[in-house]
Amino acid sequence: MDAFKLMKELRANYEQEGYYIPKETGLNLIESTEQNGAGISAKCRDAQVEDLWGLSSFFGYSTQTFVLAVNLLDRFLALMRVQPKHLSCVGLSCLHLAAQRSAPDATLSSGHELIRIGQRRFTASDLSRMEKIVAEKLHFTSSAVTPLTFLHLYHQVALGQSPSRKEVLSLEKLEAQLKACLRCMSFSKAKPSVLALALLRHEIKAIQSEDMWEMTCHVQRHLKIADAELQCWAERVARCLSDYASPRCSRPNHKKLLWVVSRRTAQNLQSSSCSVPDLPTIPEGGWDPSQSEDSSEDLSSGEESLSSSLEGEGAYFPLHLRRRR
Amino acid sequence: ATQAMRVRPPGSHSATKKEKRYSTSCFPLSTNRDLQKLTPLSDVAPAEQEKLFIQKLRQCCVLFDFLSDPLSDLKWKEVKRAALSEMVEYITHNRNVITEPIYPEVVHMFAVNMFRTLPPSSNPTGAEFDPEEDEPTLEAAWPHLQLVYEFFLRFLESPDFQPNVAKKYIDQKFVMQLLDLFDSEDPRERDFLKTTLHRIYGKFLGLRAYIRKQINNIFYKFIYETEHHNGIAELLEILGSIINGFALPLKEEHKIFLLKVLLPLHKVKSLSVYHPQLAYCVVQFLEKDSTLTEPVVMALLKYWPKTHSPKEVMFLNELEEILDVIEPSEFVKVQEPLFRQLAKCVSSPHFQVAERALYYWNNEYIMSLISDNAAKILPIMFPALYRNSKTHWNKTIHGLIYNALKLFMEMNQKLFDDCTQQFRAEKNKEKAKSKEREEAWIRIENLAKSNPQFLVCVPSPARCSPVAMETEAPSIEDLQRAQRTEGPLVSRRSELPQDIYTTQALDSPRRGEDMLTPHDRL
Repeated sequence: MDAFKLMKELRANYEQEGYYIPKETGLNLIESTEQNGAGISAKCRDAQVEDLWGLSSFFGYSTQTFVLAVNLLDRFLALMRVQPKHLSCVGLSCLHLAAQRSAPDATLSSGHELIRIGQRRFTASDLSRMEKIVAEKLHFTSSAVTPLTFLHLYHQVALGQSPSRKEVLSLEKLEAQLKACLRCMSFSKAKPSVLALALLRHEIKAIQSEDMWEMTCHVQRHLKIADAELQCWAERVARCLSDYASPRCSRPNHKKLLWVVSRRTAQNLQSSSCSVPDLPTIPEGGWDPSQSEDSSEDLSSGEESLSSSLEGEGAYFPLHLRRRR
Repeated sequence: ATQAMRVRPPGSHSATKKEKRYSTSCFPLSTNRDLQKLTPLSDVAPAEQEKLFIQKLRQCCVLFDFLSDPLSDLKWKEVKRAALSEMVEYITHNRNVITEPIYPEVVHMFAVNMFRTLPPSSNPTGAEFDPEEDEPTLEAAWPHLQLVYEFFLRFLESPDFQPNVAKKYIDQKFVMQLLDLFDSEDPRERDFLKTTLHRIYGKFLGLRAYIRKQINNIFYKFIYETEHHNGIAELLEILGSIINGFALPLKEEHKIFLLKVLLPLHKVKSLSVYHPQLAYCVVQFLEKDSTLTEPVVMALLKYWPKTHSPKEVMFLNELEEILDVIEPSEFVKVQEPLFRQLAKCVSSPHFQVAERALYYWNNEYIMSLISDNAAKILPIMFPALYRNSKTHWNKTIHGLIYNALKLFMEMNQKLFDDCTQQFRAEKNKEKAKSKEREEAWIRIENLAKSNPQFLVCVPSPARCSPVAMETEAPSIEDLQRAQRTEGPLVSRRSELPQDIYTTQALDSPRRGEDMLTPHDRL
């Protein structure tokens, strides 16, 4: 696409984006809700989005699918009061809807697969009912204007005439960073055009390209994005991405997940865990040096912990020796 | 997951009951077998008891036939059985009855009853025999043997037992003969032998080095010569209790035992019979001295089964037990080769192997080790996990792979994203490479097509049809030539140059003996 067309496209999307931003009052309500309260809290929402990210990675869905799913989720949650117990169903419906409408090359998994892998407790008919509700409430037909839309357009603009810049400014990396930001609820309030621009600038600053930076200023002027707004989000993006890039690894919690194995393996695990030996320990060097005078054993070995072996069966350990220790 | 265990009712199959197989070792039957029932020990005055005791012990040195003639000498067999039973009770409930003269009598009685050459195995060997399914061959003389074992054990365990006195009679020769019996097919006998040898090892410090050496020899012979011995599991169980009692720092002899004997035991085909005991020994060693971890893990990886999947599952069991006790500093030394092997296991088309490997992710300690070293480990595991999330045939495995990937995601998201990108990049590179290769072939083809000789060389217009090969069927010319001759088609005898000696020999045949010279006979 040539520069003129790009700018026109940008303009068109910019005018549309208002429709796709979640209701602010709804988002505020979620942010102020306490954990374990009556409604959905920010932490709940973030956890759900993390889960959706996991499923998208596993099934190989495109970034488009994931971003769209998050968008649908945020808009729905801001609009309707959802009970926490229904949140996982809502989340999965958004993901399924997004997968169905997004890029056709993604191998579509049936609702059954999603439910099974996602370890959810509801049925496929529950899922399709919820999908209908979500689509209806959001007047969702096929797509939405998301930060990703802008990111793709900005990227093309930044590349400009030299496609060799693709090596330096990686779209894949930008997409990963966008996904990282979306996992945090605070970014749902941002306008897609602003968020995407903040992200792009953050990366361009990192690779220190003067002319690409110029391009972004040009875009900002074209879309008439306020400096203050851009700066505000740029700071938040910087903070989020520095957390994302930290090499610290947290200890995951394996107990939250469901571990299903075949009967054979379950039997194997059971039998191998109960291999307690029934012969009492024989300490090296013997427990009573006076019992044998001309032994060829080395009796002057280090510490001998006999306390454990004295708990053996009665018949084995002579009574008169037990009293000695 | 359902945990129902299939329990086999002992010795019963559908319609035909499998007969219990008995064998008896070649006991030399005593000539004078009629035993007079002696007075009960409780009826005799304490001063007379020792003499009577010895009499009964000597009675029990008479041997009977239980196999070829099971109904023979029933009355006298009962006398012996009752005497043995009585003596078991006698030494259990009485003090100071084990006097010095008793020792040689007891040892002799045991030796006479027990020490024998074991019969050759009547079970099929090799792949046909499944130690877990097939019935073992049992000792027919068990009614007596059991009581002799029981008695000897009580004798050893008695508070009055004095190793200093006994060591004159329980010597190296005795121990050697005892060890020979471990090859018995009767599991009840092996169980008694195990306990007996365990007690002897505990009480006779002077015999310990000898016992260890002889056990080593049995293992060496098993690993490198015969691959057949019924008592490996029992011997390993005894060794487990010995290893557990090792003093620190570990002696060099013991370390060598681990590396030269225990680890090679993993190689043998019949590993399933004794694997739990072997794994226990190995883990005990590592609990005693963690610096042995690296050689142990590397050896396991070296011996890792490549074509035997049930064995692979056993190795995975053992490896997890080792990881349960591993020091973090040792873990770092072995993590890369270890996870490379795990990546292969996770990709295995055998569902039990893949499941067992993936179940490692449900182990909290292993997870903590992995998360501390995720930067090194995730790049190794990721491709195997991600690839199989798409292609594995088994649904349960799918779910487990998801769990594993999810846990990795929780550890560090950026690392996960980087691995994903890396994976995609490699895949694209592969695609590009194969595309390039295909294009190169097409270019060669086009080059060949542009050669003016092209149309001459290619016989048939359709490039895709298979080209006919030259077979041995006669060609058109051959057929035409044959039709010109008279009669049906006959195959012509090949015309080979004739050897003159062969022709002469065929014309005037001579007997073999005439032709052989003394030199030919060796």
